[in-house]
Amino acid sequence: MSPFAVLVVDDEPGMRDTLAAILEYHGYRVALAADGETAFTAVQAESFDVVVMDVKMPGRDGVSVLQDMGDPPPQVILMTAYALEDRLRAAVDAKAFAIVHKPFETGRMLSLVFDASQASR
Amino acid sequence: MADGLVEAPAVDSLGRRWPLRMMSAIILVVLGGAVVASSVVTLNVIRHQERLILQERTGEAAAVLGSAFASVQDSLQLLGSIAGSSPGNRQLFATAARSVLGPAQGLLVSTQRGASMRVIAAAGAAPAIGQAIPGAQAQLGRRALSTAGMVSGLVQQGERRWLYFALGRGAGPGTVVWWEAPLSQAVTIEASPGSPFGYLDIAVYLSARPDPSTLIAATTKHLPPAGLQYPFRVGHDTWLLVTTSTFPLVGSLVKDTPWIILVMGGLAVALTVTIVEVQGRRRDYAAAQVHEKTASLQTAMAELQDAQAQLVRQEKLAAVGQLASTVGHELRNPLAVIMNALYLLEVAAGENDMMRRHVATAKRETSAATLIVSDLLDYSVGREPMLAPVQVADLISESLSVVPPPAGVQVAGHSDPELFVTADRDQLRQALLNLITNGYEAMPDGGALTVSAASAEGSAQITVTDTGLGMSDETCQNIFTPFFTGKARGIGLGLAVTKRVVEAHGGTITVESTPSAGSSFTITVPAAAMVSVPQ
Repeated sequence: MSPFAVLVVDDEPGMRDTLAAILEYHGYRVALAADGETAFTAVQAESFDVVVMDVKMPGRDGVSVLQDMGDPPPQVILMTAYALEDRLRAAVDAKAFAIVHKPFETGRMLSLVFDASQASR
Repeated sequence: MADGLVEAPAVDSLGRRWPLRMMSAIILVVLGGAVVASSVVTLNVIRHQERLILQERTGEAAAVLGSAFASVQDSLQLLGSIAGSSPGNRQLFATAARSVLGPAQGLLVSTQRGASMRVIAAAGAAPAIGQAIPGAQAQLGRRALSTAGMVSGLVQQGERRWLYFALGRGAGPGTVVWWEAPLSQAVTIEASPGSPFGYLDIAVYLSARPDPSTLIAATTKHLPPAGLQYPFRVGHDTWLLVTTSTFPLVGSLVKDTPWIILVMGGLAVALTVTIVEVQGRRRDYAAAQVHEKTASLQTAMAELQDAQAQLVRQEKLAAVGQLASTVGHELRNPLAVIMNALYLLEVAAGENDMMRRHVATAKRETSAATLIVSDLLDYSVGREPMLAPVQVADLISESLSVVPPPAGVQVAGHSDPELFVTADRDQLRQALLNLITNGYEAMPDGGALTVSAASAEGSAQITVTDTGLGMSDETCQNIFTPFFTGKARGIGLGLAVTKRVVEAHGGTITVESTPSAGSSFTITVPAAAMVSVPQ
């Protein structure tokens, strides 16, 4: 059985790199994107089991990418350092697998990614 | 007090009343004195006038009496001439005498014969001719002989008193012409309503002094009447008329004028004082109103200034909060990256205990920093909980792994794996982390920290117990107040945010603590219906 594919989307290189290292250490195949547009293109081009994506990014933000994802969508875990606006929250609640507030405990993130990957197949 | 505010004159009630009281008293004394003085003066004037009128009327009465008695002297003169001109003609004298005599009266002529005095002519009730004149009467006769003009006198003879008029030498040398009249026992004469001088009480004395033994007649029983004494001549003698008026001669209205002045004046004074008092009280009331309004205005001003100061403070706080919020958000990303890096370091450390220990310290301190940032953001911004089923056992173990215990602290966590609550996981974790880190800091010399959870009547109770320093009752009462802190470090928001979070979940938080024995915090939140653990 091939490893689960995870796309990590964050404009912060430190977050991208550490999260990628952790997930790879735990056996996931990891791809990276630094902004929403790149992430959207990557999701169209390739099939991912799980997308771990920051909400606030320059250009297209995580919520916008989430809303435009095709069918069937991958399991999306949103990360945010800010409180979500009410109008976005309903949409996010409907489509996202989970929302995680930064900073998060690494073990919890791993647990969520595991749960999401199980739900994707 | 603010600058520019004019302080109302401080007047106590006594100070305010005094000038008014003084003014009323002065008005009362001055006007009252004027009224009494006017009344007294008027009274005196009227009394004087009354006396003048009485004197005038009495004079008239005396003149009437005097003229009546003058006619007696004329009659005695005439009858004496008749008796003297024809001594033998007794009939002529008697006839002439009867024309002037009243009933029971008598007229006689006597002459001196040696030591005695005998009757030589008589008419009416007079003694018979040849009789001797009795002693008391003879004494009057001798006075008449030595006097030019008619004399008068009273003589008691038996039961009756007699009034005598005697004219000496009326019928020739040595003769005395007498007119005698008996006086009734009662000297009081009822004055008839229509009689002249009926308005006077009159007493007539046959002497210059009001001697009761010389009283001839009176119109009152109250003798001697305390009244005006008016002497008048009857022949050679002086009689006395004493009079008082039976009603005011100046008129009833005039006589009552002083009392009218007194009463009307008194009423006027009372009215004036009342008006002054009423006006004064009105002024006092107005002054009190002004004082009160000024005071309330000052209070309002002070409150306004306080409110303004409060507003300024709040604006400053809001500005600081805004800044803290911005800084906090910017710190979250680097903190998240550090947590990830520490995870990787922990993996890399492998079995190297020293590395693992240092990584644990770094994780704990990073978590403390994260918690401070989260508390600050939650306090300044706050957010509604995003409710979802949360497995309590999982939450407790995650929380304990986020903040590894410092050296010397034993940690234990227990919970029923079936216990779920409906909560915002991040918020509830933040609340637990606050309680756990507080517990660590309360045990600088080591101890045990226990996190346990149990279900109770539809709720879940999560208790964090330490064996640390404990708190006094006073501290316990304040620990949930924002910015209150009993610790050397920290900004005093942890428990305030914890309480807010728990209450936002419809729960409660309580604390029990014993100094030097430790503290126990219990969070009670509504339990969720049983849900399956997401796989």
